[in-house]
Amino acid sequence: MSAGAETPTSAPAGPPKRAVPHTPTTVAVAFGRFVLAELRVRLAALWARRRVRAALVGVVFLLLAFLGTGWDFAAATPQVAPGAAVKSATREAVRLAGERERLQTALERRVPRGPWIVIDQTHNRLRLMRGDETLLEAPCSAGSGMVLKEGAKGRVWVFDTPRGRFEVLSKTENPVWKKPDWAFVEEGEPIPKDPADRLEYGSLGEYALYFGNGYMIHGTLYERLLGRPVSHGCIRLGKDPLRELYRQVPLGTPVYIY
Amino acid sequence: MRASPAALAALLALAAAEAASPERAPDAVPAGLRHEVAQLRLERELSTGKGFYLRLDAGRKRLALMLQGVTLDEYEARGFELGVPEVLFVDRRPRRGWDTEAISKGRLDPERQRDRIEVVAPAPAPSGAQPAGGATPAPPPVPKSAEETVSVPSPYRIVFAEGVSVEVRSSGVGRNRSWLRRQADALGLRLSDLGSALGLGTRDRVRLRVTLAAEEAAALYRSLPPDVGLIVVGLPPS
Repeated sequence: MSAGAETPTSAPAGPPKRAVPHTPTTVAVAFGRFVLAELRVRLAALWARRRVRAALVGVVFLLLAFLGTGWDFAAATPQVAPGAAVKSATREAVRLAGERERLQTALERRVPRGPWIVIDQTHNRLRLMRGDETLLEAPCSAGSGMVLKEGAKGRVWVFDTPRGRFEVLSKTENPVWKKPDWAFVEEGEPIPKDPADRLEYGSLGEYALYFGNGYMIHGTLYERLLGRPVSHGCIRLGKDPLRELYRQVPLGTPVYIY
Repeated sequence: MRASPAALAALLALAAAEAASPERAPDAVPAGLRHEVAQLRLERELSTGKGFYLRLDAGRKRLALMLQGVTLDEYEARGFELGVPEVLFVDRRPRRGWDTEAISKGRLDPERQRDRIEVVAPAPAPSGAQPAGGATPAPPPVPKSAEETVSVPSPYRIVFAEGVSVEVRSSGVGRNRSWLRRQADALGLRLSDLGSALGLGTRDRVRLRVTLAAEEAAALYRSLPPDVGLIVVGLPPS
């Protein structure tokens, strides 16, 4: 080998390649590529197994079943112009239009023409209505729902207010309460044999409107408890609304309790 | 004998006119009218009965509690949707005319609990004496109001015997719950829907989703009478 002669290299001809600097970005990219390649290899190996394939298909099916099973809700589109005039002149259409009118009239007639009373016994509110107009609204006290058990004879009373439609059957000024057996049992008093001993004056307030089966709308000595269910089944009302109700309500007025 | 083409054409025209005659074509009656009358008949029937019923008006977006044709209480619906069960993306449509048939015996789900106070009366004292125990009996406890005792779930359902249910949602409820709790509740509801769509438990055919103001939804839950009926009006014929 002669001195000064250049040593041949294995590098290909052409411009020399520049070394890529090891920045955090390039390292991250290289690592990402490595991970992806590794993942691809491993997934391919997994997919090659029949059980894994079946399980994956099952999972996808279950997911689709889960997404596609349930309740399909859509905003309800109301009927266009119910009650509209019928353009069809067939005999059947005319008959149906007539029947529709009759039914609508019959339904309108179900609403009382005079005043009517609505009692919400859950929220202890009484309303006096006439048509759509509220004439009076006041807190009341409905049945407490309490159960009273008599020790010896084993009688049981449940102090509920009945639900349904009733009518005002009688109206009384300065009503006298004829105390039933439970009133004595509750107080721990013997039940009197003389009916006169059952009479109590003043505890029902100034007025009472009787609506059947021993139930009344009457006044109370405990106005602070109005709005709470504390009665034995009757409807207790404050002094002023009771006076107003008594004045406005004739016999036969419907009473709706719910 | 051979009929002329003109006579044949006249005969055909006559037959076509006869077929299209209003007297012989019941389909010429608007379906909406037939449906409306069927619903009015049902409503009339409900209004002459003794039971309470709910009247859901799709047009006016109102839900009313009624008895014998009289509105006892009315709730304004903020949203009203009609739902049908769906299995594998296929809807199971309800039978035609489901909303013109009686829907009855509605009950709350979850059921409303009522705790009754039980009082055992003291033994009666001989007349003129103080009651047993030597003192006047203590007054019975004052029952709590419905707002204090009945907690209202959201949503809740009113499930009817005929496979129809009303799902009542309260608008604005649950915003103060944590995100995790809301997701858990949503998942629970989703699973429950999945079960009912598949016919597990209740077999609902139609579900009416009504969104009410929170106070109104609560009031309805607390005061709904038992065995309530339902009529849905204002929907187009199915």
